[in-house]
Amino acid sequence: MKNNLFSWILLILSSLVLLFILAPLAGMFINTGSTEFIETVKDKEVQESIWLTLWVSFAATFIFAFAAIPLAWLLARKNFPLKGVVQGIIDLPVVLPHTAAGIAVLGFISRDGFLGKTADALGLSLINNPAGIALAMAFVSVPFLINSARDGFASVPERLEKAALTLGASRSRVFFTISLPLAWRSIMTGFVMMFARGMSEFGAVVIVAYHPMIAPVLIYERFSSFGLKYARPASVLFIIVALAVFILLRLISLKKKEIYISPDAEA
Amino acid sequence: MLRLKNINKRLGNFAISGISLEIPEGEYYVLLGRSGSGKTQLLELIAGLSIPDAGEIWINNQDVTRKKIQNRQVGLVFQDYAIFPNMTVFGNIAYPLHSRKLKRHDIDLKVKNIAEEMNISNLLDRFTHNLSGGELQRVALARTLVNSPKLLLLDEPLASIDASLRDDIKRTLRRLNRNGLTIIHVTHDYREAVSLAARIGVIHNGHIIQEGPPNEVFSKPVNKFVARYAGIRNFFRVRFRRDGDCWKALCEGGPVFRISGNNFPEKGLMILKSDDIKISNNEPSAGSDNRFNGVVREISPSENGMEVTIDAGEIFYVDLPVCDFKSLQIRESSNIWITFPKEAVIALPGSG
Repeated sequence: MKNNLFSWILLILSSLVLLFILAPLAGMFINTGSTEFIETVKDKEVQESIWLTLWVSFAATFIFAFAAIPLAWLLARKNFPLKGVVQGIIDLPVVLPHTAAGIAVLGFISRDGFLGKTADALGLSLINNPAGIALAMAFVSVPFLINSARDGFASVPERLEKAALTLGASRSRVFFTISLPLAWRSIMTGFVMMFARGMSEFGAVVIVAYHPMIAPVLIYERFSSFGLKYARPASVLFIIVALAVFILLRLISLKKKEIYISPDAEA
Repeated sequence: MLRLKNINKRLGNFAISGISLEIPEGEYYVLLGRSGSGKTQLLELIAGLSIPDAGEIWINNQDVTRKKIQNRQVGLVFQDYAIFPNMTVFGNIAYPLHSRKLKRHDIDLKVKNIAEEMNISNLLDRFTHNLSGGELQRVALARTLVNSPKLLLLDEPLASIDASLRDDIKRTLRRLNRNGLTIIHVTHDYREAVSLAARIGVIHNGHIIQEGPPNEVFSKPVNKFVARYAGIRNFFRVRFRRDGDCWKALCEGGPVFRISGNNFPEKGLMILKSDDIKISNNEPSAGSDNRFNGVVREISPSENGMEVTIDAGEIFYVDLPVCDFKSLQIRESSNIWITFPKEAVIALPGSG
């Protein structure tokens, strides 16, 4: 009887949490009329902003992966002084208020900042530019990639890397043929998480670049200028596109043959 | 072939210290020790996976102490094999050949030859997660041997294999050694060591405490630790007394042993192999060197038959074949006689 009551309480509490997540989304979908939605789909400004959001977030994730993945390997495999501090620094953007993160990035990429000056010398302004947006997105989302890839590398038995070394492989060959393929699933999860997080970023991006408008900024702008009714169809469209891309990326990452690491091998 | 000169390596709270070894070409050397004794760390030092804090490693008259792993011509087979799960058996075996940038045709040929030698040709296209322990061990050996190492290091190669497959792998290892390959084999199992080694080194707490041919190590263990490894369970703390031309050992529990040899210290530890002890229901002749009457305290099955625990002032463990056990009709609490020659009692010099 007691067990039964406990199960019911668990079920009700779990349902309430799920309802809390699903109800606002369902309400938004239900309250969006098909005519408004079709008009929004055809709206060039909305199309451009969603496209911009997708490609800039993907580019930021792709470019930063080249440095973030080796850093993740270092964190998983090497012990060095102040490693804990380095780990803390990596997690910092996650806990910062995103507008504060935007201010920090803006200071870095403005004409007075180091990166801004360098870019200026090359004739490029990072403010109100997709490159600046990419930097703001990467700043708040790169910890997701680093942490997931680090966990992936840590789960690869170190002895497999040692075995490869004793078989004559160079350190770089060991990385590309053993560590990277075996940590691939976690790296892809981190990649998707970084991409998704970057795509949904508003606070940091709006400070760095109001224009060109990424989808979250466009939704905010429609809401503040025209109200809920006008912001809703754009939100629905963005959610659908984001979900479709998210599912597609997950499918691509899962399609890679599942690699079975024997529990013995991790001993 | 391999010479270790005073190797020292600190690993956290544990340290390998003062290890010196010389292993001639073609020898089968077994490093015997419990887990945590430093045997795997020593293999990793020889392979080059870690660098000693002090000391030198020489292979084929070349100082390789600081040489890259890839240039040592040493093959290491890990416990649990460390087979790459993202590759087929072929991919695993071909891995070291790809590292050497051999031509595809040569790689195919070498992989096929070694797979045939290791009897795993039928597995080449398979992924490795559903292979048996014996098959995985053969793949790991093939992958290491295809690189033609001068020295093969084996870390507990039989520990994760079913008993039925062990003999098979042992035969393979003996054959490789007969063909001239120098092998260093690490294990915790003294029976494995006895069955394969030309020479044994017993390692304990990062030191090699005894070295020599297996029969010598196990018939004359230098201390209690090695004696325990040899399966000896009869240990007696004794005081030595001269009695005319003979020596006697007085056990703390009462019995006095007549022993052979001379110049013993005042106190020491003596061992007695259980198969050197004879049991009888009737009183033995007075001519026996050592004879004691005792009570059977416990009877339990053992690897060789039955183990009988006898209290004769000290506890004696005696191993009996089942037929002898049955013919003597031994029961718990029954009275029984034990005898053993004085030559069977061995003093452990290092355990006083």
